[in-house]
Amino acid sequence: MPSTETILNVGLTHYLALSAVIFSFGMIAVLMRKNVIVMLMGVELMLNAVNLSFIAFAKESGNLSGHIMVFFVMTIAAAEAGVGLALAVAIYKKFHEVNIRFFEHLRG
Amino acid sequence: MLWDAIGFYGMALFLIFFALKTITVPNPIHAALYLVLTMIGLAGMFFNLGAHFIAGVQMIVYAGAVMVLFVMVLMLFDLKAEIRSFSRGLLSGALKIMSSALLVGFALGSAGSSVAILDSSDTAPTQIDVTRQLGVLLYTKYLFAFEVLGILLLVVAVGVVAVSRMKGGTHAQH
Repeated sequence: MPSTETILNVGLTHYLALSAVIFSFGMIAVLMRKNVIVMLMGVELMLNAVNLSFIAFAKESGNLSGHIMVFFVMTIAAAEAGVGLALAVAIYKKFHEVNIRFFEHLRG
Repeated sequence: MLWDAIGFYGMALFLIFFALKTITVPNPIHAALYLVLTMIGLAGMFFNLGAHFIAGVQMIVYAGAVMVLFVMVLMLFDLKAEIRSFSRGLLSGALKIMSSALLVGFALGSAGSSVAILDSSDTAPTQIDVTRQLGVLLYTKYLFAFEVLGILLLVVAVGVVAVSRMKGGTHAQH
């Protein structure tokens, strides 16, 4: 059982725990939702959880490279959202629904 | 110290509540709006950690641009609240949730046992010139990665337009 001192003294571990919880929420969304767009939102949640742990480590070690990495991850996430939504539009044009079970009909 | 703890736990509860709402509400538009609140909470967290520039970028890029993109595409689709928004199967669902819980357990365990190894800095950068140091680092040490990222964004922009203008979606008739 953690002491009151550990609970009140907010440090790196607390931020890492919060990051892990948000990451697991994103993972559950990707695994269990059927709507492609909500699954993309789950991916965004996971990327943001990782960003939080990068910033927490950067503060703990006093090294600014973590901030740079977060900057790059944000750019990649924006590009990934654009590509994912374009694919969702392509699926919707054919099936008039965005549901993950239509991915089994994909062919090139 | 007490006020720090109260602020952290308040913001953490805010984040966890809205992240949970994001993945459980049946209507995708509501999920997108809860995701905006989660992003704003994360920006507050970054601000709290002294990353003021990253907090601003988070607000502009995520809570602004990316979420507008999501909401626009959702509006385009005319989606209604889904009756069965979760995938079928009780056993597989339980397995999925258990695997996520296992991942969190591993992450927490490794964090708890490895945080002590990390040597915390004696010379933490003063909060005032973090943004200046960030800019210098980005344009000197990480200049190549920055330029490559620009090319990647150009390729992605062209690719997105090409994919969304494909005739007949993925099932084009030849």
